[in-house]
Amino acid sequence: MTTPAPAPAPVTTPTPTPVTTPAPGPATAPKATAPGLRRTVPAAAALAAVLLLALAGCGGRATTHHKPGTRHEQATGGNGTLLAARDESGHRLRELPAAEAPAVRAEVRPDTEGGWNVHLALERFRLTPESTGGAALAGRGHARLLVDGRETARAYGPWFHVPAGARTLTVRLYADDHTVWATGGAPVQTTVPLAASAATPSAPSATPSRTPEPPATPATRTLDIRVTGSTVTPAPSRVELKKGERLTLRVTSDRADTVHVHGYDREAALAPGTPATLTLTADRTGLFEVETHESGLVLTQLVVR
Amino acid sequence: MTAPPPPLLPLAHGVGAQHDLPLSPFYAYAGAFTALLVSFLGLGLLWSSSRFRGDRAGRALPAAVQRCADAPATRTALRVLGAALALLFLLHLVLGPDDPDRNPAPGALYVLLWVGLVPASLLLGPVWRLLNPLRALLALRPPRAPRPVPAAVGIRPAAAGLLLFAWLELVAPDNTARPVLLTALAVHLAVQLLGAARHGAAWFAHADPFEAYSSLLARLSPLGRRADGRLVLRSPLNGLDATPETPGLVAAVCVLLGTTAYDGLSDNPRWITTLQTSPLGPTPTATLGLLAAVALAAVCYGLCAGTLRLLNRALTTPLTSFAHSLLPIALGYLTAHYFSLLAVEGPRTVMMAVGTDNAAAPAPPLGPAGLAVLQVTAIVTGHVLGVVAAHDRAVRLFPPARAVAGQLPLFVLMIAYTLGGIGLLIA
Repeated sequence: MTTPAPAPAPVTTPTPTPVTTPAPGPATAPKATAPGLRRTVPAAAALAAVLLLALAGCGGRATTHHKPGTRHEQATGGNGTLLAARDESGHRLRELPAAEAPAVRAEVRPDTEGGWNVHLALERFRLTPESTGGAALAGRGHARLLVDGRETARAYGPWFHVPAGARTLTVRLYADDHTVWATGGAPVQTTVPLAASAATPSAPSATPSRTPEPPATPATRTLDIRVTGSTVTPAPSRVELKKGERLTLRVTSDRADTVHVHGYDREAALAPGTPATLTLTADRTGLFEVETHESGLVLTQLVVR
Repeated sequence: MTAPPPPLLPLAHGVGAQHDLPLSPFYAYAGAFTALLVSFLGLGLLWSSSRFRGDRAGRALPAAVQRCADAPATRTALRVLGAALALLFLLHLVLGPDDPDRNPAPGALYVLLWVGLVPASLLLGPVWRLLNPLRALLALRPPRAPRPVPAAVGIRPAAAGLLLFAWLELVAPDNTARPVLLTALAVHLAVQLLGAARHGAAWFAHADPFEAYSSLLARLSPLGRRADGRLVLRSPLNGLDATPETPGLVAAVCVLLGTTAYDGLSDNPRWITTLQTSPLGPTPTATLGLLAAVALAAVCYGLCAGTLRLLNRALTTPLTSFAHSLLPIALGYLTAHYFSLLAVEGPRTVMMAVGTDNAAAPAPPLGPAGLAVLQVTAIVTGHVLGVVAAHDRAVRLFPPARAVAGQLPLFVLMIAYTLGGIGLLIA
């Protein structure tokens, strides 16, 4: 169906086949033909114009721009100078003067369910996921995340989550053509340590080398609770918490069950004999019960003031 | 996060995930001290001859307001409104999801009706009498020759109903599940409709727990009806003084006091431990606890009434003569325990009813300090109103020489109730 059969459409305009090169002045063609052909379809003509504009690629872009994924070689535009140095995975560095070079800062906050929430503060830089693969333009590109020195993901937005278990996070800025933005011969990047105190699922000794450092983030209290039959040890009592304090519940049950913190609506599955941990930030004041679902036992009460 | 997703379990707990913070000692001591001080001041300084005139007091509202309120159209509109709300409740209960987080029916019963009746009755009088859908149902086919309810029955059936409802709310397992609610509703309907078929609509005033509850709380409303039938604005103390001394009044008041006290007790970790380790099982133990709380409230009052009888042989009905003075104390308990439930879960229930799926509970309107002040103020205000009501009744019933001495047992009882109430909020 490459040729439109019905008459009303502007037949003389290019048929909607994929356009790989920008058509010269596509916007003027339908406007010239439409009034001449049929007066009844100015709306269709306008629609066709919009379609053509979209097909021809966004005309406002710089001429060095390529559609995403159409080229893989590194373009050598006028933005910065390519250096001989490469990063770990072989991308060349692209040097900019310090005044024009972007800058990145990462703000890290532990998440209540484990891992960290990271926010990137970028200067002179815009994340442009829509043009990744195109030529390098100063101040545009994406960020790559290196967890413990290994690249794990790209960031196309300022917020992302790093799962538990990571110790350091490096964020490095890349241009659209996958060259590394650099200034003074060094990549533009930031490295933040991830505190070892944040919630981790209770995988026993997953990384034996980990040493629990004193936590940098708000203090975390740990509460051990053991459930045997219908007996809870220690007996249900009240845990006084300050608003904003973090609490880790480590619950060991002698049968499969679910532990549930009311109000915060946090749950963790309990396997017989295996301690399950649940970490939460006490960010709501009130009295909340920690309960098991199957056996319906109250394990403790959290008093958050 | 490789852990498997937690299984989807029905939430087996009542309405409301958050409880009020325990009272900090400062507020508790301040409240207790105020209560004691006011009591002693009242004993020494209050009037020495009775001032309240009960249902003869009050400033009449304009005739237009009275005509509007008493118009058959108003009454019919309220009946239809009550019936429509009941139908909506029933439809949600039967057709909605069986999950209290997504179905507004449990919240409508435990929060909007049970707790919402408190402010509604306090402002507008016995509203449930006007809205009661059972009355609308009966009006469709009224019995031909209703027999009068025997005088000895009084509001005893309603007191029993209140106790059963409190059991459902505070003790019954899975009390928000559809089968449980439907069973309770069926029992309620059967008792009410069978009684009404025999005794006519008058039966509801004696046996419908919500109607009795609303009418009792409405004694403290500034809006009332004088003995001559006029709608009046009056002091709540006059309204309280006019509380009819029907059989079952003491029982109803003791049920209100005892069950609200049990609600406070059930948050206590020690009581929770007792429940969970009891050889009887949690539900029977909780039932016993609820009954014990009601019995304790009743025994304290009984002892007090017995002492009053010893002090004044002429006092033939010591129990019912002073029962009205416990109503403000019960109201104080109710306000202190249920305010935040109404403020948080009430709007959430309404949001669910208008179709918001999985509505979030709104933030509590008061911070911890504000709530503590409100709770203590409610309990102390109830105490003060109770002391004043009892004082006035005492100077009316006792000879002047013995009026002060005659109040002492009540005085001790009220201080015990108030300190107990504050103590339950700390615990």
